[in-house]
Amino acid sequence: MTDLLLFKNIDEPDLHTLEVYERRGGYRSLRKALGMPREDVLAELDASAIRGRGGAGFAMGKKASFLPKGAMDKYLVCNADESEPGTFKDRELMQKSPHMLIEGMIIAAYVIGATRAFIYIRGEYDFQASRLEAAVEEAREAGYLGEGILGSDHDLTLWVHRGAGAYICGEETALLDSLEGKRGNPRLKPPFPANQGLYQGPTLINNVETLATVPAIVEMGGAEYAKIGSPGSTGTKLVSVSGNVTNPGNFEIELGIPSRELIYDLAGGPPDGREVKFWFPGGSSSPVLTKDDLDLAYDFDTMAKAGSMLGSGAIIVVDDSNSVVDVALKTAKFYRHESCGKCTPCREGTNWTVKMLQRIKSGEATPMDLDIMASVQDRIIGNCLCVLGDAMAMPIGSMIAKFREEFEAYIEEARARNDALTTDEAPPEALIQGAAA
Amino acid sequence: MPRPKQRMVTFSIDGREVQAPENIMLVDGAKYGDVEIPVFCYEPKLGAPVGACRMCLVEIEGIPKLQTACSTPVKDGMVVHTQTERVRVAQEAVVEFLLINHPLDCPVCDKGGECPLQDISFGWGGGRSRFIEPKRHFVKPLALSPLIAIDRERCILCYRCVRFSQEISEDYQLVLEERGAASYVATFDGHPYVAPFSGNITEICPVGALTSQPYRFRARPWDIEGSGSVCTLCPSQCNVNFTVRDERVLRVLGRDNHDVDDGWLCDKGRFAYQAVHVDERVTRPMVRDGGVLRAVSWERALSEAAAGLGRARGRVGAVVGGETTNEEGFLLQRIVRDALESRDIDSRVAGSPSLELQRALAAPALQATVADLEFAHAVLLLDCEPVDDAPILDLRLRKGVRRRGVRLAIASSRPSSLDANARLRTRFAPGTGEALLGALDAALGVAGGDSGRRDDVGRLAQAAGSDADSVGALAELLSMAGEDVVILYGERLVSGPRADHAAKALLNVAGRLNLTGGREGAGLLCVPAGTNGRGLAEVGVLPHAGPGLAEPALGGRDAAAIAAGAAGGELTALYLLHVDPVRDMPGRERWVAALDSATTVVAHADFLTEGIREHATVVFPAESYAEKDGTVTHPDGRLQRLRPAIAHQGETRSEWAVLAELSRRLGLDLGVLTGPTVTAQLAEAVPFYAGITHDEIGGLGVRWQAREAVTGFPGGFELGPFDLEAPPDAPATDDARFALGTFRSVWAATEVEVSPALKFLHPRQRAELSPVDAARLNVLEGERVIVGANGTSVSATVALRDAMPAGSVFLQSAIPEDSASMLDGPLVEVRKA
Repeated sequence: MTDLLLFKNIDEPDLHTLEVYERRGGYRSLRKALGMPREDVLAELDASAIRGRGGAGFAMGKKASFLPKGAMDKYLVCNADESEPGTFKDRELMQKSPHMLIEGMIIAAYVIGATRAFIYIRGEYDFQASRLEAAVEEAREAGYLGEGILGSDHDLTLWVHRGAGAYICGEETALLDSLEGKRGNPRLKPPFPANQGLYQGPTLINNVETLATVPAIVEMGGAEYAKIGSPGSTGTKLVSVSGNVTNPGNFEIELGIPSRELIYDLAGGPPDGREVKFWFPGGSSSPVLTKDDLDLAYDFDTMAKAGSMLGSGAIIVVDDSNSVVDVALKTAKFYRHESCGKCTPCREGTNWTVKMLQRIKSGEATPMDLDIMASVQDRIIGNCLCVLGDAMAMPIGSMIAKFREEFEAYIEEARARNDALTTDEAPPEALIQGAAA
Repeated sequence: MPRPKQRMVTFSIDGREVQAPENIMLVDGAKYGDVEIPVFCYEPKLGAPVGACRMCLVEIEGIPKLQTACSTPVKDGMVVHTQTERVRVAQEAVVEFLLINHPLDCPVCDKGGECPLQDISFGWGGGRSRFIEPKRHFVKPLALSPLIAIDRERCILCYRCVRFSQEISEDYQLVLEERGAASYVATFDGHPYVAPFSGNITEICPVGALTSQPYRFRARPWDIEGSGSVCTLCPSQCNVNFTVRDERVLRVLGRDNHDVDDGWLCDKGRFAYQAVHVDERVTRPMVRDGGVLRAVSWERALSEAAAGLGRARGRVGAVVGGETTNEEGFLLQRIVRDALESRDIDSRVAGSPSLELQRALAAPALQATVADLEFAHAVLLLDCEPVDDAPILDLRLRKGVRRRGVRLAIASSRPSSLDANARLRTRFAPGTGEALLGALDAALGVAGGDSGRRDDVGRLAQAAGSDADSVGALAELLSMAGEDVVILYGERLVSGPRADHAAKALLNVAGRLNLTGGREGAGLLCVPAGTNGRGLAEVGVLPHAGPGLAEPALGGRDAAAIAAGAAGGELTALYLLHVDPVRDMPGRERWVAALDSATTVVAHADFLTEGIREHATVVFPAESYAEKDGTVTHPDGRLQRLRPAIAHQGETRSEWAVLAELSRRLGLDLGVLTGPTVTAQLAEAVPFYAGITHDEIGGLGVRWQAREAVTGFPGGFELGPFDLEAPPDAPATDDARFALGTFRSVWAATEVEVSPALKFLHPRQRAELSPVDAARLNVLEGERVIVGANGTSVSATVALRDAMPAGSVFLQSAIPEDSASMLDGPLVEVRKA
């Protein structure tokens, strides 16, 4: 059961053009929405119970309802800074069906009463940004954007803004700072963007996939949409599966199917002769699950109950040919590199963790360092300004907890290797001072 | 704008019920229950909290995660825990994280002993580190500027300095470079951080990362004592704390007074203390002997001064500089008026309005306070450049605009550093403030329904070199903003030969804006040219006013007339109290002639600037502000106390004592035995200062307008409306001739010139021109021009200013060479050098 809503026509040639998109029923939902009072459209979004697809999983209708009513400068921002390692679903969506996102944004802007909207897209998505820009231009010419959209009193100007390649700019408040032209650093919350966001105005900020689902919800009705998926995790979800699988890619699934089905049936599972050692269920920032968790239903609540999270819906599979230490180091290095440096635990904690992992690799660590490393992760989690620190500490912490024996074995092995190097072998003759003379 | 009113709420902290104002941050609220929550990045002076350092994490019941107490407002019924195991671990973790890259070089760190990082590590840290990896290293220390050293290894990246630069001084120079653990503080362009308020970052830095270069390695905290006083280097009169070691001032820190300085200092105030201890300072009495000044005994200097002045009885003129205290000014006017039977004494550089108008402008009902600048609906900045004239007010205006939505309007001849913060900027030709006020008065009349004045607006605006639309917009902004309007104006606006007319126009504008009715939070605030300009006027150091702005027995000459009188032989002795008119006053040549003609010139001076060096016959060493005991009056009427921080340097004596002794030798015993007796005499002589004592003034000062004795303010004046006479037209400029405007840079001070650390900022002459005029003259930024009038000329470097109206040129006054005071305006010729 795949390619239900968002990916229904995804491989249709030239779907990215207005002509093909319209032929496939595009912008019908927009007409329908503009014919309804704003509150009714919001009620449909609320009834759909769709949870944000960006990572936090907050109910979209609820978030939109937090924005103050009345005439003021309000903004809609689409978070297209898809930077979480393992996540590449928005890329395909924007590349192949940009109008679906634009249509969703026009409807969402109508709901909250915003007249200005922005798509903040990561700088590396150059091709996708160009596609979006072309699509925005097409939509503008067709009268879907601009003043008095389709004869209604709804105005909207939409900008595509390219980021400069910082992971932190996917954090919503850092994104807003960056969009305002400042250094992308997270802001203190509260105030939340719904009250004081872009340029201090009320701002609705949603992920690409969330906004792209809006036309489908309007079309089928919120209640109907809510019947898809499992209770608490309604609808379909684009899942990026990568890592040690034979058929990696994006798959649209109904939320709640067994994880095994996703990893093995859709993504082909690990290559022959290997088996899943552990997997990140929601991008590299989610605590890892093991092969024992493969039969869990893939939805928000089940993943949370298992001690991890659905996150952005990006499964990274690690099979038994890999060392957990390597994966941990690679993960930690990423977050050290991307930490903005504003708050102490994240800035110092990511750096310290990398240094400890490097010491494990070079054979200069003892099992005691594992305790320190675990304690450092504990001291990061929940104490930071934004969730970037947690994004490293949670997976690293889970790896230490679940693969402690492997870490210990690695430490001993690396130490033994070092001992062998330093004690058993005499240094090469040429290095002994005076030997040449 | 109404000040925020705060309701008290009850919350629980560590099991105790505590009352605190609602919505203050928990860190501050906790103090009401004697609970200390450690912080690094939190500093209320810097505005909204940022929650970056995470040191203040506490547990609040009902919220699952620990919360930063610096950013959580206190609410009724909140239950807070700061001593639980969870909080302890989190706070200990932050200390551990912060110390992993800190060099722990406390033994050689200037901050050691007065360092929040040390204190918090001791109080909340775990006492040991588990970090055994190499720490990060930087080249250190580096000069962030000639005044500030930066040690990036010690930096804990709390963002305070960056926030100061970005949100307080708004010079936008400091930034965090790089990211994550590689972050470091730097200027955005790599150039030195030179800005008028840069030194504040050394004081707000919670570690030893930013230290004062002049103070570097000068003392350890246990070697020093703090001594509170007031900085008298400009009219801002910021409250300071002198750091003293062995009778030497080694450092100046702010002494937060929200009603005066808001806790900040400018770099002049922070670093010019060095002038107290330089070799150039005069610390012995001197007498001119064989054409040169020679050090002599006090006895000889006093007797020569008494003899010279005694011979000139009835023909003595006195000029008083702005750094003079109320007590010194009061004693000198008694000597001049009572002992020397003379009547010519002035403390203003360019004359003042009549006594009636002087009273009207100083009337208690009209006075705004410094804090009002922050809470007003609108502020009109009129012919005043705060960053030069009273720097700390520049920060207050920025704060008002940024944080409280004050609408700032600027009407000035010279572009202002606050232009970017203003809703509206109106430029008028130099010296035509009166016409502009007339136009504004008429425009406010039109806005109030008096359409008959419409023609006047255009005519008067044109006389000011402006236009009706511009003045109309200003009137609209001021009349629509709300009731609380503050007009912050420079003394020069109500100076000069037409001072009376300008004062009347100003009072008319104030009347139109309903500022004359005594409304709290609104009114006028004058920035005097001299530090204690207001106090000196109020204690009688004006030609036409005695103590308490009373009518004197005989009116006298103002400063310019004193110069003319001396040059013409009508005055034969001059008394210069803390002023070198050749350097500080307009009309340099006239003053040189006056001093040449006078047979006796007695000066109190701390430096032998040109006028003193060449012309004084007796020089008494002046006390520095760190040695003085006395009072000064802030521009908003706040009496503040100077307290001696160090002993007198060299043979310097208390100047009140010198004046009293001189008076005795001139035959008038003033009955002065101690400093406070002068204050007591003063309080008796000035009815609206009645009963004031040093004790009452205390550490934070007291506004006389807020005391009962305010009823002693003299009557006999009107607040308008006045019929205004047509002002003269702005002098016609043409291709060759420019309207001359002058300004005194904040750095144009002898204290700056002689301070080794600040010397690099001491200004050379520069000609500020509009790019249009520069193009016409075929000169570029940085090239030299000659500016001349009536046969004299000065040479200056061109500085282009976009917002300068064409046809004007601005030159600096009060500098040793090429000073604007050499030129007589209003028109000058400018040509390429």
